[in-house]
Amino acid sequence: MNVSRILRASLALVLAAFLGLLAYSTVESIDSAEEQAYGRDLRRVQAVTSELNERVLKSRSALMIQYDPLVHALHDLQRLHERLKHVPDFLGEDAAFDMQDQLKKSEAQLREKDELVESFKTHNSVLQNSLHFFPILANSVIDRARVAPHGATVASRIQALIAAIMLFDTSADAESSARVQAAQLDLSAEKQAAHALELDHELELILAHSRIILERKPIADRIVQQILAVPLPRMARALEEAYSRHYRSATARALLVRQILFALAFGTVVLGLTDVILRMRRSAQALQVATGELREANAALAREREKERQLGELKTRFVSMTSHEFRTPLSVIVSSTELLENYSERWEAERRMDHLERIRSAARSMDRMLDDILIIGRAEAGVLRPSPAQMNLEEFCRHLVESLEHSSARSHCIRYSFSGDPEVTLDERLLSEVVGNLLSNALKYSPPGSQVHFDVVANDEQCRFEVKDEGIGIPEADIPRLFQSFFRASNADQIKGSGLGLAVVKKALDVQNGTIEVQSSLGAGTQFVVRVPRDLSVSRSSSAEL
Amino acid sequence: MPSNGPVTSSRALLAILLVALTIVTLWGCERHEKFDDSEIVESSSLGDQPIEPLPLTVDFDPARAALGEALFAEPRLSGDSKVACTDCHHEGHGLADDKPHSSVTGRPDSAVNSPTMYNVRFLYKLSWGGKYESLETHIDALMVNPKVMASSWETATKHLAEVADYRRKFASVFADGLTPSNVRLAILDYERSLVTPNSPFDQYLRGNAQAVSPEVKRGYAMFKSYGCSSCHQGVAIGGNLFERFGVLRDFFADRGHFDNADLGRFNVTQRDQDRFVFRVPSLRNVALTAPYFHDGSAATLEEAVTDMANYQLGRDLPERDRSALVAFLRSLTGEYRGQAL
Repeated sequence: MNVSRILRASLALVLAAFLGLLAYSTVESIDSAEEQAYGRDLRRVQAVTSELNERVLKSRSALMIQYDPLVHALHDLQRLHERLKHVPDFLGEDAAFDMQDQLKKSEAQLREKDELVESFKTHNSVLQNSLHFFPILANSVIDRARVAPHGATVASRIQALIAAIMLFDTSADAESSARVQAAQLDLSAEKQAAHALELDHELELILAHSRIILERKPIADRIVQQILAVPLPRMARALEEAYSRHYRSATARALLVRQILFALAFGTVVLGLTDVILRMRRSAQALQVATGELREANAALAREREKERQLGELKTRFVSMTSHEFRTPLSVIVSSTELLENYSERWEAERRMDHLERIRSAARSMDRMLDDILIIGRAEAGVLRPSPAQMNLEEFCRHLVESLEHSSARSHCIRYSFSGDPEVTLDERLLSEVVGNLLSNALKYSPPGSQVHFDVVANDEQCRFEVKDEGIGIPEADIPRLFQSFFRASNADQIKGSGLGLAVVKKALDVQNGTIEVQSSLGAGTQFVVRVPRDLSVSRSSSAEL
Repeated sequence: MPSNGPVTSSRALLAILLVALTIVTLWGCERHEKFDDSEIVESSSLGDQPIEPLPLTVDFDPARAALGEALFAEPRLSGDSKVACTDCHHEGHGLADDKPHSSVTGRPDSAVNSPTMYNVRFLYKLSWGGKYESLETHIDALMVNPKVMASSWETATKHLAEVADYRRKFASVFADGLTPSNVRLAILDYERSLVTPNSPFDQYLRGNAQAVSPEVKRGYAMFKSYGCSSCHQGVAIGGNLFERFGVLRDFFADRGHFDNADLGRFNVTQRDQDRFVFRVPSLRNVALTAPYFHDGSAATLEEAVTDMANYQLGRDLPERDRSALVAFLRSLTGEYRGQAL
């Protein structure tokens, strides 16, 4: 019972742990769609960044003549960063914090890049316009100057500036820059000539555009370098690395959780199965016990029936025995009475007296038998109770011995001894039934002339009566049934007896809290030892107290 | 059997456990969901032309946009229930102001000319100084600006809630009905719906050579050769970069007076290189939105073109070229809801 309670408690515990972990793992579970989207966004940051760089370079070299692709790339990067801020839940708080931190750094780089691109567009559009328009303008002015008188110098100066600008556009170093400045100075010196040619406005414009190129090309180139140098791709790679690191640990965590879940589920199943098996075994045991009880009940019933049968047998035997036992003295009485009736006048007195004595003896025997039956009946009905009274045990026993010796016509000698305090409190009538029956049996089953020992010891506690004869003895097999009513030992057939004497002894002793022991050897003699409490009133009251 | 009941319940428990085990096993199976990647706009193809036509359709929620259109003309949006968006962005004037500086009751005159609202979704940054990075930040700022709406989304929503019609319309469009967030979303969707495709020049770009006159085609050639397209390019023909007003000549010196608003982007960034720098405006529907420039100093398209050539390119336009350029610019007026503007 205890084991099963522990089992069920642990089952509930394991089940609760299983369900709890299941709920937790559902919350923390890796959403593969979210994971894929996030990973793709991270990779897109790198891809879009390199696209942006490529477009900046294209814009710079006039391969791309609009800025929408630039702003779209920047816009995409901004939106990607915005989206990446929603770090997948399954990474855990620490990872999210780390990612947000990295994202902030990346966003700062993106802002820097955005500002640089803005600056680039501003300078590049002006530069591109000048690079495009300067040669057209310059060549048209050269054409006009050439056809005009005295315009050759102006034309050659413009030509020199074009050459210097073209060289500068190819390699913007200090030398080419100095050459452009020198060409600008040379051309500026021709302002008078240009005025004369009515080309002074155009000359100013040529110079302005050349100044723009001289000034803005290095700026635009520097900004492009700066744009390319913004470590946004590196940030993106770091972000992706951090993400895959966190993702790996999240996966490991999820795997662990799944393993634990599996173990818990397995444990739950095992515990549940054990519980079921234990219950089944217990019910099997209960069935076995019930079967045993049933069998025992059946056996008890059979025993009861056997007892009933024995009782019935006993009754039958009782009736037959009693009728038999009574018939013997009755027939003696009837025959003696008839004889006396017919022949009393003719018979002499002695013979009449003989028959009268027979009648009296038969009647006395019947009376004694009835007494015995009554005692047994009262004992069995539970109404036999001792009436203890002060008595002299020694005296009582002596009278009894004398009376028995007398009735046996002194064919036997009873060796009687007494020791101890003779003053006892016992039921004289019941005691006489016990001792009388034992002594008369001893006389009856012993050959004439043999000795019967009768030793009485009255100590402080109890009285001990020992009756020992040298008679026929009792077969050992008969000893257990010795005290049953009407039971007669198998070797006692030849000797008259009702089979009630020892039953009476036993019943009488039972109500006096007495005991009886028997020792016998067939043909050698029998010894009965009886013990009764010395003071029956005390022992009765004490037992009543109990 | 005396323990029949418990055994049955144990079987039920076993069944539950088996189901749980199955769930755990199935749980491992990967779910494949299509990820919506439509938010990321693919960069346009690198065409040879500096200008690209506007898309013929754009995505927005029509129900929300309809609500937003009503709100655009609704003075209850403002703190004092007196100013509507349309007070500066006139419906009959290309959603721009016909006055150099917007003048609205109870508000100081605007420092700059109110630009058109059409095609705002194609602008990279908003306002003359490029102060706002998105329509969201732009409208959030205007709502609380005491010189503009002097309101808040909460205040506006309270005002709108007094009108049963709005409550009903919002309830039919939004699950949670009339809320500050939904008022904002409706206006944003209206702004995103303000696209004017299919202008004659867009038709020409899409391959319809008959859509524009030879004069327009010549104007477009001028537009490119003069260098206008160095800045006015892309789908919005501008709106994607900042440039100094007066690259080759000093506009402000010629104008004769100086205003704080003339500092342009400097007012946003406080960087010296951003003085007199402005967001290059979109030239879409430019014929409808006079006057021009941040100060509204150019009353006509012709003036604006002349000023641009002068101050940005350092050139004096011959009349012939100017009229061709203006003809080209007039061909940039598109259609709104299928109707030519």
